[in-house]
Amino acid sequence: MSDLLPYLIGGLANGALYGLLALGFVLVYRATSVVNFAIGEFLLVGAYLTYTFALFLPLGLAILAALPFAFLFGVLVERGFVRPLLGRNVVAVIMATIGLAAALDGAVQLLWGPDLKYLSGSLPDLGFHAGEVFVSSRAVWNLLLALPLGLGLLWLLRRSKYGVLVRAISEREVAALALGIPTARVLAGVWGVSALLATLAGALLAVASGVGHNLVFFGMKVFPVAILGGLDSVGGALLAGFLLGVLEALSQRYLEPLLPGFTEALPFLVVLLVLLVRPYGLLGERQIERV
Amino acid sequence: MKRREFLRKLGVGGVAALGMPYFATAQARPVKLAALLPLTGPFAFAGNAGREGFVDGVDYVNEVLGGIGGRRLELIVEDTGYDVARGTAAFNRVISRERADELLFVYGDSTGLSKALAPEIARIGLPYSATSFANELADPKTYPTIFVFGPTYNDMVEALLRQVRLQKGRAKIALVYSNTEFGRDPIPYAKERAKALGMEVVHEEVTPPAFTDATPVVLNLRRANPDHVILQGYALSAEPLILRTAREQGLQARFMGTYYSAELALIQRAGPAAEGFTVTYHNAYWYDTLVPAVEEMRKFRQRKGRDTSYRPTYYMGSLAVALAVAEAMRRAAAAGKLTRAGVVEYLEKLGDYNGLGLQRTYQFVNHRLPYTKLYRASTRDGRFNAITDWIKLA
Repeated sequence: MSDLLPYLIGGLANGALYGLLALGFVLVYRATSVVNFAIGEFLLVGAYLTYTFALFLPLGLAILAALPFAFLFGVLVERGFVRPLLGRNVVAVIMATIGLAAALDGAVQLLWGPDLKYLSGSLPDLGFHAGEVFVSSRAVWNLLLALPLGLGLLWLLRRSKYGVLVRAISEREVAALALGIPTARVLAGVWGVSALLATLAGALLAVASGVGHNLVFFGMKVFPVAILGGLDSVGGALLAGFLLGVLEALSQRYLEPLLPGFTEALPFLVVLLVLLVRPYGLLGERQIERV
Repeated sequence: MKRREFLRKLGVGGVAALGMPYFATAQARPVKLAALLPLTGPFAFAGNAGREGFVDGVDYVNEVLGGIGGRRLELIVEDTGYDVARGTAAFNRVISRERADELLFVYGDSTGLSKALAPEIARIGLPYSATSFANELADPKTYPTIFVFGPTYNDMVEALLRQVRLQKGRAKIALVYSNTEFGRDPIPYAKERAKALGMEVVHEEVTPPAFTDATPVVLNLRRANPDHVILQGYALSAEPLILRTAREQGLQARFMGTYYSAELALIQRAGPAAEGFTVTYHNAYWYDTLVPAVEEMRKFRQRKGRDTSYRPTYYMGSLAVALAVAEAMRRAAAAGKLTRAGVVEYLEKLGDYNGLGLQRTYQFVNHRLPYTKLYRASTRDGRFNAITDWIKLA
């Protein structure tokens, strides 16, 4: 067990980031039925925002300072790209987010240049030894931020007034409008929160491995995580994130020596297997309409 | 003739005589060099630095060296996005658009793209090189027009293993590499050669080219307990994370890497964990001011009003290619053989040239340059310091 424990901790810490990013993705899908193919670029923009603030602020403050800007960025994306297309064919919205991803890739390179960046400074060291196992500071920070945030969001969505409004809109937008719910404002807020979560994930990743375009590839992981958890399930996204993180770590430990390269394919294989048994994901609702 | 008229005619004649070569250069058809580089995408940092190296090299050839036998050297740049399909499309676009007697050299991007294009390049007899140092490309029998401007990945691993042997005779080696052509290229050779040198390969770890958590990789390494770990196939996408995690997890092994890990960004990203990281590198660093090329290009960039701060290794690599290719073209032009075949012939005879010190020599052996130095990361200096002189690998 002491051999296995570090792998589990590493997997959970990595899974926390998957979950964080998938939360934002699922939140948008649940509220607007839009599959946001630009989620990787949201993360990229968030990492670069953090980098910019870290040039003149301590890293912790830089991350905090980046969050409201990320929220604003999400709101602007909703206003500029998504809202004009609501009610149109779903393919049009999907194409718009794919186009948005390409535009953001270019914009990031134009604004910040192609050179690799790194974050100056670091977060307070929270790493510790638990017996023979070393728990890295990165793992502690990932879990410390992702877990309360994810659970808090879940609670907000279920219990708070704002959460009820989001759920009402996701159930039937026209009825919500008829009841006087400020749909436009709520949906803009959902996109803002999604960008905020992606920024937090991007900042935590950037702390560990620097800022560069390859962060976008991390966004690809959101699709198997969200599908596995259930596209409309916020709790499912969090659970699936942890699950995939742990499965990847265990695969790297046990399967990679036998099947080199297997871990890369693992998330998609797991999704395939789960979808065969539960087409709506682990915690998704049955009436989900697939596109 | 009156004095005033004489002076006027002298003036006109003088201006014409001085300006004629430039006029002739402008009128003659240019010689073209195409660079297909990843200007966008995950390797945009390397592609853009490489483009800058080509721009400087070509400008230097035209403005300081007088072009190629009186003809202007022209640079064509296309973006590949580090994508084989886009790179192939860019290659086809350039080849179909340009005249065969003008486009005399193409520089491509990545092992995957170069291997995909190699048969067509051989068929049309186009002088070609690339960012890739794949062993398969250094094969003049199969690909007589492809050149590798440096040691192959096999050569680089050879240099690292020789260094390991100096430190510990029967060392335990671990190989960590990405699941890409770039990553896998030298692995069979590394295993075979380590065994021949009396070393033991105690662990092999295959990973994606970029990942977000190195804990499982490092834990696997810790279980294998190697003396040295060789990283291959990442280009800064994973090395800093692996080094940081290794330090956190208390792994004692010494880490090593090849050409694409030899960039200062690695030290900046990995921080103290980069200390002692050993790499192969076969050009000069921008801070190697004793190398004539560095001094010359600093002055040249200053004259052009360009940034003279640190230029990355990818810049130096492209500059080294541009200067050498231009030299081969100039020699071919002087011999009246400025054709694709002529450029190949004179690249093969470039042994007395060293690109102002950017390479030890351009004496190709099996169409690659089997020489490198080893450098070690110093976090105190914030740079890689040479720990060997040139190592001859063939």
